[in-house]
Order: sequence, then C-alpha cells, then structure tokens
Amino acid sequence: MKKIRSYWVILLVCALALTVSVPAWAKDTIKIGVIGPMQFVQGKGHWNGAVMAMEEINAAGGVNVGGKKMKIELVQADSNEFLNVTDATNAMELLMTRHKVDFVVGGFRTEAVMAMQDIAMEYKKIFFGAGAAHPELCLRVAQDYDTYKYFFRAAPFNSNYLVRSSFLHLQFVAGILKSQLNIPNMKVAIVAEKAMWADPMVTAAEGVIPKFGMEVAGVWRPSPVATDVTAELSAIQRSGAQVIFTIFSSSVGIPFARQAGELKIPAVQVGINVEAQKDSFWEATQGQGNYIFTMNTYSREVEQNELTAPFVNAYVERFGETPTYTADTYAAIKHSLVTAIEKAGTLNADKLVEVIRDQVVKTPTGVVQYMKDDQGRYLHELTWGPGYLLGLGVQWQDGKMAGVWPNKFKASAEAPEISYTGMVDYIIPPWVAEAYKK
Amino acid sequence: MNLLRYYLRKVFAVLKNEVLVLPSRIVVLLFFLSMLLMPLVVDDPYFIRILVLASIFAIFAASWDLLSGFTGQINFGHALFFGVGAYSSAILNMQAGLPHWVTIPLGALVAVAAGLVVGIPCLRLRGTYLALTTLAFPIILLGIVFAFPGLTGGELGISGLTRLSTSRTVTYYIIVCIMLVSCTIMWKVTDSKIGIIFHAIREDELAVKAAGINTILYKLMAFCLSGFFAGIAGGLYAHFMRIAGPSTLEVHMSFQVVIFSVFGGIATIWGPVGAVFILVPLLEFFRLWPEFRTLLFAFVVILILLYMPGGLLPWIRNKVEEECPRCKIRNFAARRVCRVCAAEMR
Repeated sequence: MKKIRSYWVILLVCALALTVSVPAWAKDTIKIGVIGPMQFVQGKGHWNGAVMAMEEINAAGGVNVGGKKMKIELVQADSNEFLNVTDATNAMELLMTRHKVDFVVGGFRTEAVMAMQDIAMEYKKIFFGAGAAHPELCLRVAQDYDTYKYFFRAAPFNSNYLVRSSFLHLQFVAGILKSQLNIPNMKVAIVAEKAMWADPMVTAAEGVIPKFGMEVAGVWRPSPVATDVTAELSAIQRSGAQVIFTIFSSSVGIPFARQAGELKIPAVQVGINVEAQKDSFWEATQGQGNYIFTMNTYSREVEQNELTAPFVNAYVERFGETPTYTADTYAAIKHSLVTAIEKAGTLNADKLVEVIRDQVVKTPTGVVQYMKDDQGRYLHELTWGPGYLLGLGVQWQDGKMAGVWPNKFKASAEAPEISYTGMVDYIIPPWVAEAYKK
Repeated sequence: MNLLRYYLRKVFAVLKNEVLVLPSRIVVLLFFLSMLLMPLVVDDPYFIRILVLASIFAIFAASWDLLSGFTGQINFGHALFFGVGAYSSAILNMQAGLPHWVTIPLGALVAVAAGLVVGIPCLRLRGTYLALTTLAFPIILLGIVFAFPGLTGGELGISGLTRLSTSRTVTYYIIVCIMLVSCTIMWKVTDSKIGIIFHAIREDELAVKAAGINTILYKLMAFCLSGFFAGIAGGLYAHFMRIAGPSTLEVHMSFQVVIFSVFGGIATIWGPVGAVFILVPLLEFFRLWPEFRTLLFAFVVILILLYMPGGLLPWIRNKVEEECPRCKIRNFAARRVCRVCAAEMR
C-alpha cells in the first residue's frame, strides 16, 4: 500500500515538473499583445481590428498549429505613446515579461515604435507594426537582419508610397479639372499643417508639381490645431489656385474643410486629410466638407477584393464606424500571422519569420507581399502598387464617403486598368465648376 | 586589522547614534539597501525596468529641485537639460563612436553649457517671467533638432545607441549606483554653505546681495549643477532606451519633473526622489484600469497637494518626527525628551 502511494507521489511530482518546465504542453491558446494608444482613436482601431480577428478565428475553431487547434487570446496594452514614449516601452516590456505574449501587433508614433521594436526584438517576438509609416522601421530589418527580422509592417505602406499615392490623386483630380473645365494653367496651393512630418512632403510637392505641368501658387502652413483658417483661405483665393493640395493629420482638417465650404472657395481639395477619413467628418463640418477628397484605406462603398465587404460590414456592425488603417491588426493577425502559423505548424518565431517574409496573402485592402531592397535584402516592407496594396482615394459626396480612385487607373500606358468595385466618378464642386465655366 | 576594526566601530557608532535614531534616516538606509539588494531578490525584468527608469527620473527630479526648489529659479523647461544630455550622448556615441562611459559625462558637460546658455539671459528674470522664459528653451531646441535631421535624426531621433551593458542586472547596478551617488552629492551640496546661500537667494536675493555675496555666480552655479545632473539622467535614459528622440524635449517631460518634485516636497532633494519611486510604480499599477489611469494619477496628485501642500514626504516626516523646541534637532515623535539636549519635547 505504501509502495503504491509513493508511486502516485512520484507520478504527481513528474506531472507537475513537466507542466512547469514544458509550458507549451499545457498551452492551448496563442497570446497576442495589442499595443497602441488605447485612449485615442488609433489605439481603438488597433484593438477593434484584433478583436474581430480573434472572434472570427476562435469561432472557426481556432488556429491549427501542427494538428492541434489553439484559440487566440488578446492582451491589451495602452502605450500612451502620444504623451509618453517611456510609457510605451514599459507597456511592451509588460507584454513580453508578465503576459508572455507570443506575438505583438500595433504601435503608432514612430519614435515610440522604434523603442518598442528594440524590446520586442530583444525577446525575439514577432511584432507587426500597424500605424507608423516611416521607412526607417524596415530599413533596420535590412541593415541588421538577425536582430530586427521579427518586425513586419502591417499597415500603412511606408510614407514614401503615401506621398506617391497622394501625388497620383493630385494628378487624377487635376486631370479631371483640366478636361472638364478647360483650365490650361493649373495652379496648386499647398496647404500643410505646421508639423515636422509634413515638411518633407511640402518640399517634395514643391518639386513635383511643376513636373506635372502645374504651377505652385504658394505654400500655407496653418497650425495643426487652428480653429480659424479664413486668412489662409482668402490668400489662396487671391492666389488664383484651382487645386488645394492638403497635408493634414490633425484637427485643422475640419475647420479648413468647413470654412472653405462656407466661403465657397473656388478650388478643389485633394491630398491627405485624416479627419476626412472618419465617419464623423460630415457632422463635424456640418455638411460643408462636401466634395473633399482624401487618401484612405477603407470605405463602406468600396470593395478592393472579395474580403473587403465582409470585413468592413462586420466592423461597422460591431463598432458602428468605418475601420481606419490601424484596424489592419485584423489582417495582420487573421491573414498574415495565422496563415503562416498554419503553414509552418509551429509558434517558433524564427520558423515563422521565414514563412511570413516569403508568403503572399490576400487581405481586405489588397495583396500583402513583403519586399526586398535593391541589394536583395529582406526589408519586411509592404509592396505598394497595382496588384498589391494601392490605397484608396475617397470623396465626400452628400454625406457619403465615396470611393473615386483608383477608377480606371493605369500605372503605365501598357498596364491594365484598375478599378475597385463600388467606385464612382469624382464630382467637381458646383461652385468651382461655376467659377471656371467659360 | 585594527584599522578595519576602527572603521567598523565607527560605522556602527554612526548607525546607532545618527541613523537608527530617526525614522526618516532609517527609511533612507532601507531605501539604499533595498535598491542595492533588489536584483538578488527579484528576477522580474519588468519590475527591474521600472526601477531603472525611476532611478533615472529620480536624478532628473532631484536636479530640478536643486535649481528651482533651493534657489527659487522656477524652471518650466527642465527637459532642455535632459534632452541636451540625451542628444549629446547619442551623437557622441553614434557619430564619434565613443563608449557610454565617455558619452554620458560629456553629455552632462554639454548640458552644463546649456545651463549657462539658459542661466545668463535669465539672470534678470524672476517668478512667472523666468518660468515662461525657461519653458521656451526646450521648444527652441526642438526646432533646432527638426532643422538638422542629418545630425539629430529629426522626428525619429537617434536610435541604436550602445547598451550600458548586455546584462540587465549590470545595467540596473550602473544606473542605481549613479542615482544613489548623484542624489547624495546633490543633497550634500544643498546641505553645505552653498545650499544655505541657495536658500537665501530664494528667500531674499536683495538681502544676500547686501551681505556681499555674488548672487549671479551662485545662480549660474545652480543652473550648471542642475544641468549637469539632468544631463547625466538624459544620457543614462538615451543609453537605456537606446534612442534619443524629440520626446526627451517635450513639455510633458518638463512638467512631469515639476509634478514629481512638488508631490514629494520641494527644497529637500529626497522628496522628489521619493516621489518618483512612489509615482512611477503607481502609474504602472494603474494600468489595471487603463481607461482611468491618467484620471487616477491626477486624482492622487491633486489629493496629496490639497491636503499636504508641502509635499507628501515632508508631511509624513513631520508626523513621525518632531523638532526639539530648544536645540532644533529632530527627534522621533514618540520621544519625551530630546535625544541631544534632553529638553522636554512637549
């Protein structure tokens, strides 16, 4: 009897030791850390996208990891990175050491993401960046691959491509104005908020616009938080500009659009206006933001492919708003990460890196394939262009965010036309058409 | 052997007669010991990280107290020194390839120069005017940082700095030891004749001038000393985070240090240090309620300042210790007679 009891004790001790020393045996969930400024709309996007991915994956039975079904578990970490970069690094450390997450998605402010990237790389955890657009984040991957190979960009495509997209949008709108209003010498007013991130864009725009056969009418730099821009708008009107190229990420995007609408400034707006990407823009401008054009990622009316509408509709139903690009944590988890895990059959980060860097996956915004640089080094940078990710150009049309670009867009003379489902024609504001009608 | 015995006996005597007689001194002793022994007891990288960051901010907060608390030169732009230290260390490390044990002191010396640059034009200013002028300096530097992105990295900052050590424990000890030494030096400075003059300048500068003391020299000295220690903190921060970015110069950084100092009790040095070690972990603890984190933090700070306007730590100290009415020596509050002059305490 004594002997049997001691066998039981040994067995129990062995089981306990195995449980402690080989936690993967007992592990039946994949822990994903979602890090972002959770008190701000960007962080909410990170979280909402990840929640949707988790719910869909778990409802379908979980992730098949080498024959074993594992559920996804999310851990939220508020990086507070807009206010405090130190806080962001603490949140990342918390995810790594206390929550012991397997993967991380999120991040927004470049300086904070770089610091968080270092921590994630130290722990050799795969980190999908879903907010910061600076190319440096991926240049680090190419320059020191062994250290930074665990970082992948999930959204948006890098800022160089954001600039190229916005110039394409400018050419698109200018082309319509030229053809419909017969304006021979197009003048463009560059209006960028007074922020450092906009400086290189202003310089690039000043250099590129003349090459497009247009004239730069002037550069205006209102405060990012300006509430009155009538002085700038009056000056733009006096400059004779027909197009206003906007570069706004802050709240100034609202008064600028509203007052331009109220004053019926005879110039169309095109470029980046982050406020105009939000559903609340129409109400915020009291309808005066009609006909504003901005770069965007999602629109309720547009389907980039067959995955877009199910995602956007479910997102709108669940959270009551159109997803923004930080909600691409959804695609990072569901399409990039889970696909790679199921293919590799493991959670081993090194093995997954090898799969993710070479895989081609379809996501609601397009096809994700990671690029290499000119020297053939892995960059883990999103490929931009026709057939991959291109982004959207949307215009507010009577309270709706309508997709207007790419609409029969040709990257080159021989390239096939690209149009997404649900695209509509760009509308020239009536007062602009009236002003230049001959 | 006899010498060792002599010193041991001396240490024991100091401990018995000077340290263990007052609760505040016992707390300081325990703080020193716990900071030095912590990695032997706790093996949690997150907790160690919080302590490391708290140590860096403790130097930073104490340096503000040295300038603004003691001398009364209210500085709302203290992030300037921190940022200058961080950026200088980063540039020297990345561009000149110098090791951190060279870049951090050199960065601190550049911060001293920044102290002079700020101090000289501010000599004629007082109160609100001085506070607002100092607030402008980090903003000016931020503009310079963005104007020369080739050197400063622009909005990204300078990243990839060498680590203080590859071992977390060694990093911890480097930073904690520098913090303990720096804060002790600052405390000793304020406890010296220089400290008395700093006090006097704050209370009545005209009277100090009338006494034949060159107040300009002492005010500049306060700016330079404060800049030096804030620069050390900035350099440590840059090497620990491996990045020196625009966030080191932001207004938030300047106000944070004021909050730490006022919360802990200004013109004490130990007050701001204690406040950092209370507030930094507290802010992390509030992550349990992420939606209310900032609100809870603000509530705690306001509550303390409302009921303890002199700061939390001096308030606690005054509850457990009393000054002798005759010789002004501090005694444990429970004592009936003074430990030095034996006068009745009540």
